[in-house]
Amino acid sequence: MVECEFPECTTFGSVVRFALELEKGAAGVYEELAKAVPSAALFKELAEIHKKRVSSLENMRQQKLNEMILEPIQDMKRENYLIDTKVPMVSDAKQAAKVAMKIEETSSKFYTDAAKSAKSIMAEATRFMDKLAKDNLAYKTKLGTL
Amino acid sequence: MALLTEVQKNYGKLKNYVNGEWIESTTDKWLDIENPATGAIIGQVPMSTADETKAAIEAANEAWWAWRETPPIDRARLFFKLKELLELHYENIARIMVQEQGKTIDEARGETRRSIENVEVAAGIPSLMFGYNLEDGAAGGIDEDAIRSPLGVFGAICPFNFPAMIPYWFWPYAVATGNTYIIKPSSQVPITQNYMTKIAEQAGFPPGILNIVNGSHEVSDTLMEHPKVKGISFVGSSPVAKYIYKHSAENGKRVQAQGGAKNSLVVMPDAVLDRTVNNMLASYYGCAGQRCLAGSNLVAIGNIADPLLKKWVESSKKIKMGYGLDESVNMGPVVSAKAKKKVLDYIDGAEREGGKILLDGRNAKVPGYEKGHFIGPTVIDGVTPDMTIAKEEVFGPVVSFMRMEKLDDAIEFIHKSPFGNAASIYTQSGKAARDFKYKVQCGNIGINVGIVAAMAYFPFAGYKDSFFGDLHGQGQDAINFFTDRKVVITRWF
Repeated sequence: MVECEFPECTTFGSVVRFALELEKGAAGVYEELAKAVPSAALFKELAEIHKKRVSSLENMRQQKLNEMILEPIQDMKRENYLIDTKVPMVSDAKQAAKVAMKIEETSSKFYTDAAKSAKSIMAEATRFMDKLAKDNLAYKTKLGTL
Repeated sequence: MALLTEVQKNYGKLKNYVNGEWIESTTDKWLDIENPATGAIIGQVPMSTADETKAAIEAANEAWWAWRETPPIDRARLFFKLKELLELHYENIARIMVQEQGKTIDEARGETRRSIENVEVAAGIPSLMFGYNLEDGAAGGIDEDAIRSPLGVFGAICPFNFPAMIPYWFWPYAVATGNTYIIKPSSQVPITQNYMTKIAEQAGFPPGILNIVNGSHEVSDTLMEHPKVKGISFVGSSPVAKYIYKHSAENGKRVQAQGGAKNSLVVMPDAVLDRTVNNMLASYYGCAGQRCLAGSNLVAIGNIADPLLKKWVESSKKIKMGYGLDESVNMGPVVSAKAKKKVLDYIDGAEREGGKILLDGRNAKVPGYEKGHFIGPTVIDGVTPDMTIAKEEVFGPVVSFMRMEKLDDAIEFIHKSPFGNAASIYTQSGKAARDFKYKVQCGNIGINVGIVAAMAYFPFAGYKDSFFGDLHGQGQDAINFFTDRKVVITRWF
C-alpha cells in the first residue's frame, strides 16, 4: 500500500501537493491491481499514466505559479477527495475495475473543483486540470468495459 | 501536513563573491541570520568593510571593458544558460527564501518565477539595446546615429522582503547591456541571493561581472561614494530611499530609489463581493503584508461597507498561519522581532486613536513555532483619514477599514498621502475604473487587481515619496537606466 499524505487544500501549492499525492496513490493502487489481475493490461497502462502526471503537475506548478495572483483557496474540502490506497483482495478484472473506477471518479471530482478554484487565481492552470478531470472520466468508462 | 524539507539547516558563514572568487570577509562584525518562523539561527552574514567593497568595485571596473566588448548575443547566451540553471534550482531557491524570509512556499515559488522572468527578458538584449539613426539626419550627406552604450559599474542595495526578485529587477539588465555589477543583499535575508549567485557563477559569467558584497551601511556608503560606481538601484523605506537618492546624486551617480507605500484598495458598491474579497486577501495578507504593493487601507464606498466588512472578517479568520514550508499555510511570520514590534505598536496606536479592532492578530500563536514572529490578520474598523494608521506604512497584515461616500472622496484621500506607489479599485463600472485610472496619482494602478506587480517587461512604477529618480526598474526603463545614448554624426569626404 502506498502511504499518502493529503494536505488541506488552502493554497495553490497545497492543491498541487494533494494532486501529487493523489497520483502517487493511484499509481500504487494500479500497480497492485496489475499484479493481482495480470491478464488486464489496462491497470498497468493506467499506473504509468498516473506516474507521468506527476511531472506534468510539477511542471505546471513551476511554470504557472506567479506571485502576483496568489489567493487563498477557501472552498475545497480535503475530505471530499480522499482515495483509499489500500487495495482489497480482488479475484478478477471486474472487481479490480470497481476499485479503480472509484479512484478515477474521486480524482475527476478533485480536478474539476481544483480547476474551478484555479479559474479565479490562475486561469492558465484551469485548462490543464479540466483535462485531467475529463481523462479520469474516460478511464472510468474504459474500466467499466472490463 | 508534513513540512517540505529545508535545503540546509545552517548555511554557515556567508562569503563575498568578488572577481569570480568566494572570499571570507575579514570583518569582526557578523550578524546572525534568523529563520523568522522557527527562531533558529541559520547562518551568519559579514558586515563587510569599506576596503572590501572598494576591492569589489575595482574588480568590477577592471572586468568592465572586456565585458563591454563582448557582443550582446554572447552576453545573452549566458542569460539563457542562467535561466536553465535557475529552473533546475527553482525549488531550492524558493525553500531557502522561506527559511530566511518567512514567506510561504507558494509566495517564494512565485517570486522565483518573477526572478527568472527578468532573466528571460534580459536575454533579449540584442533587440532591446538597439539604438536609432537617421540618414541625412544632420544635413545632406551627413548621417546621425544614437547608440546605446553601457557605463561601467552599477550596484544595488536590496531590501528584506523580496530576497530573490529585487536584485533581479536590476542586475540582469545591467550586465546584459554590458555593465558590471555589485549586489549588496539585505543583511536580514542574504542567503537566497548568495545561493543564486553561485548559480550565476555556474552559468559562466566571467570573473568580476557579477559580485556580491554582504554587509550594511559601510558597504552602501562606499557604493554611493566611490567615483567608479556609475549608478545605484535601491528598494526600501522612503526616508532611506530619499537619502540614497540625494547622497548618490551628490556623488554624480544615476539613481533609481524605490521607497515605501501606503496603498489603498477602494471597493465600489457594484464590486463582485466574493471575487473582490478573495483577491484582496492576497493583497493584505500575502507576504504577511510586507510588500510595497500590499493593501493597507481598505476603503468601502457607500452601502457596500457593512456586507464587505462582514465577509472580510469571516474570510480573514480562515487565513492559516504557520511555517511557510507547510504548503497549506496562507501566511507566514513577519521578518523579525523588531518588525513585529513596529506593527504591534501601530495596532496599539490605532486602538488608542479610536479604531475598533474587529480581528486582533496581536497575540497570535502558532503551535510548535512559539519563537516565530507571527502576527495574525488584523482588521481595524472606524479608521479615519486623520489617524496615524491611515497615513503611515505599517508593513504587516493589518487592514484599516474606512468608509467613504463617493469615489472622489477616496481619490482625494489617496492624493493627500505622501506616498504614490499603488492603488486599486474594485468595480464593474468602466466609468469608475477609467476615472480612477486617470485621476489617481500613483505609479501602479489596479482594476480588480490587488497586487499591481508589473511584469518584467514593464517598469515597476511609483510616484511621489514612493520613488526617487526617473527611470524605474525592469522593462525598457531598465535598459535606459543602464545605458547612455551616444550620438554620432558622420560625414565621409
